Amino acid sequence: MSRKNIRIYWGDYLWRLIIVALLLGGIFYYGPLFYARFQYLPIEQILASSPLKNRTFTATVQQIKGDNIKAYLLEEHANPIISISFAFQKAGVAHEPEDMLGLTTILSEMLTAGGADYDAKTFKDLCAEYGIKLEFATTADNFSGTLQFPKEFQEKAVELFRAALYEPQFDEAYLTLVKKRQLLALQLQKEQPAQLLADKFKQFVFAGHPYERNVLGTEESIGKINVADLESYRQEKLAQNNLLIGIAGDVTATETVQLLKQLFADLPIAAKTDELSPLEIEATGVKQAVSRQTAQNIARFATQGTFRNSVDFYPLYIVNYIFGESGLNSRLNKRIREQEGLTYGVYTYLVVKKAAALIEGAFSATPENFERAVEMLRQEWKRLGKEGISKQELAQAKEALIASYNLRFASTAGIADMLLAMQIYDLGIDFLQKRNDYINEVTLQAANAAAKKYFSAEPDLMYIGVVDTKEKK
Amino acid sequence: MKPLFAIVLLCLGAVFPAFAGLFKATEFTLDNGMQVVVIENHKAPLVKHMVWYKTGSVDEIRGKGGIAHLLEHLMFRGTKLVKKNEFNQKLDELGAEHNAFTSFDMTVYHQLADISKLEALMALEADRMQNLAFDREAFDAEQKIVYQERQQVVENNPAAAFNERFNLLLWGNSPYGQPITGQNDEIMALTYDDARDFYAQYYAPNNAILVLSGDIEPQLAQELAEKYYGKLPSVTIEREEPKEVKDVFKTSLEMSLPDIQAVKMVQKFLLPNYKNLTGTYFDYLVLAEYLGGGETSALYQDLVVEQEVALSVSVNYHYLTRGNSVFGISLRPNTDEAFNRTWYEQILNDSMAQAMNNLTTDELEKVKRKMTADLVYINDNPEDAAYWVGYALAVGFSLEDIEHFVEGIKNVTLEGVHKAYRQVELAAQVEGVLLPKQLQEDNQ
Repeated sequence: MSRKNIRIYWGDYLWRLIIVALLLGGIFYYGPLFYARFQYLPIEQILASSPLKNRTFTATVQQIKGDNIKAYLLEEHANPIISISFAFQKAGVAHEPEDMLGLTTILSEMLTAGGADYDAKTFKDLCAEYGIKLEFATTADNFSGTLQFPKEFQEKAVELFRAALYEPQFDEAYLTLVKKRQLLALQLQKEQPAQLLADKFKQFVFAGHPYERNVLGTEESIGKINVADLESYRQEKLAQNNLLIGIAGDVTATETVQLLKQLFADLPIAAKTDELSPLEIEATGVKQAVSRQTAQNIARFATQGTFRNSVDFYPLYIVNYIFGESGLNSRLNKRIREQEGLTYGVYTYLVVKKAAALIEGAFSATPENFERAVEMLRQEWKRLGKEGISKQELAQAKEALIASYNLRFASTAGIADMLLAMQIYDLGIDFLQKRNDYINEVTLQAANAAAKKYFSAEPDLMYIGVVDTKEKK
Repeated sequence: MKPLFAIVLLCLGAVFPAFAGLFKATEFTLDNGMQVVVIENHKAPLVKHMVWYKTGSVDEIRGKGGIAHLLEHLMFRGTKLVKKNEFNQKLDELGAEHNAFTSFDMTVYHQLADISKLEALMALEADRMQNLAFDREAFDAEQKIVYQERQQVVENNPAAAFNERFNLLLWGNSPYGQPITGQNDEIMALTYDDARDFYAQYYAPNNAILVLSGDIEPQLAQELAEKYYGKLPSVTIEREEPKEVKDVFKTSLEMSLPDIQAVKMVQKFLLPNYKNLTGTYFDYLVLAEYLGGGETSALYQDLVVEQEVALSVSVNYHYLTRGNSVFGISLRPNTDEAFNRTWYEQILNDSMAQAMNNLTTDELEKVKRKMTADLVYINDNPEDAAYWVGYALAVGFSLEDIEHFVEGIKNVTLEGVHKAYRQVELAAQVEGVLLPKQLQEDNQ
């Protein structure tokens, strides 16, 4: 009996040995992977101990005042270049005479096509030889321009700018060419589904308002425009009292006063301008289609947004950033792109014009993915309107928006544009000092009130592409 | 302390200030073979941080088209240390504008951020050079996303079929004739292992160039580069360099496609790689600028302004590549009648011949002044300088070549430009005409 009791059962031990071996093997084999779960890149520590952490930077915007001319200046003497961005307010596409649509685009081309004694070729050659960049452009609200030049060629830049602005040649033959090219551009706009949709979408959202206009005009209107029309528009709309200027670069305040006088002092004092009627977008989740055989359907959507100086602006700005503007990290991209691979990208952005403010967005997806993507957009939209954002999302967005503050100072031309925008949107001369506070001061409550207010009703949507026949009514 | 100090001094010695060139950049190489270039720009506390892998779509195996691009996407899908979506979230929190792109010759990852965030960017980029660990779920999603990307960026353009066929004709068997995105069926046939293999084969410090442009001193840049990238192991890069196309042929392609609204005419000429040219690439750059660089160019003045037979014409020369360099002409006719290809081909040839006859030393000097005047802006935005330098280094230029760009242009002679023109005339070429569907039916 007793012997039997102490008998060794090898079978039992063998099992135990196997179990122990498996355990040890498991630890050795999977241990590093298990350990890796707790490994991370210590980003916080890296940043805190970086010798680069304390680089400070102040950008002081100066207000420049001449007789009737005012501007914002940011001195930046690192490179011998000067950038000027300017805009004539209420002189853009929405202010063109109703029978001359496309006029401001033509005007922007014709102003750099020769002036004073220089024909188009000589004018453009001189600009290029001296590294002087002069461009005019038109937007819905404003007729704008940029002038950039090396400091050593300031005199030449002033001469050429004055030739363009005060004595444009408006050569008949050149006008014919510009008009033909604009008709071609109008045709090419119809080639690309994204561009065709952008045009149709404007008509859909701004129906009946001047904001619905195509910046190129129409085939009929382009044909009608002549030199006298350009001349009278130039004289009526380009004046000192609707002019805003941003200037940046290797120039002092005193020099700026003199320079701006040379450039702009001979403009008429007052422009003949008209006001646009304000437009509210009452989105109700309408969906419209433009039928075309495309590889992908492209969608654009919009709803009412808010103006730059409204109390809702920063709360909405942050909410929209989280929802659709923060690139691959946005709610929409994480859901529709990253999780399901339905689209290459989806985004939203705020649009602020003089007489309308919108939240707009866009994405494209192949026809078999399209309805699913629209459905997910709707779900995310509703969820935002109902539940708002989280405390953590708010904190992250604030961190991101504040950390990226200095990116606006990358180029001199970009700084001049920013200084101009500060005036167009009436943000105040101390905007750069206050901007991070505006972001920081947004409370979760305010953000979620904005989410509820702007994301409760569904946006109106228009798409171009393969139309689902089941939907046709 | 003393030995340590000596080591620091030795390191500093390795950073030699470059000659006063266009960018006044500084370069050095880490022990593991990673090339580093620093372009100082202290006007704002910013930095452009770019890692250029000298591998692109031309390095793909036949039938695996699109793997370089798909891998570029997967680089955002997590590492052993930075899981899943955390990479994008961290970059967002750092306030960085970031992206990546894949080209024929290279794959590039880049961020613009506040200088205070540079070390974090370097830590994250170095991490994904070695520790990439996307899962199969992420692979499946990203495969669908790159497929969608091709539909959006390529196939939704009504001219896509023309462009891709044109490239096939021009390049024949060369990988430069294949789309960077890969073909639709190729994209969907790529596997998880294809992506892992491509990563293992090419993503290593000795196949990469680090470009730092902005508010950063070369000495500090070197310390940081060594700290974050210096310990990564190098790998042996085995690959065949793309072969230069040497066939000489002249052919044409005429295509009419639905939704095309206006006629377009394109001519492309295959020249040797920039290293093997007759003359220098500057000769060809000046030639292109003289003939068709903007509205003041010879062809534009003749065909658009004088003869009024075109609405636009432009000429360009693409030399920043590991493959053949390409001379290209593109024209939009001014005609309400049916388009006649032979007539336009003749008039374009005559116009070029005339322009070459008219070229004087004065005119040449003016063209050269125009080409260099603009460079006063190149050191304004740190991003512009970073792209130029990175791109050129990635296709094999030395920093010295890049720095001496202005001198290169200035040294171009009349004789050089005429020689270059003769080489273009002799080169393999394809002429393509894209027509609206209706127009071609009228022609028949």
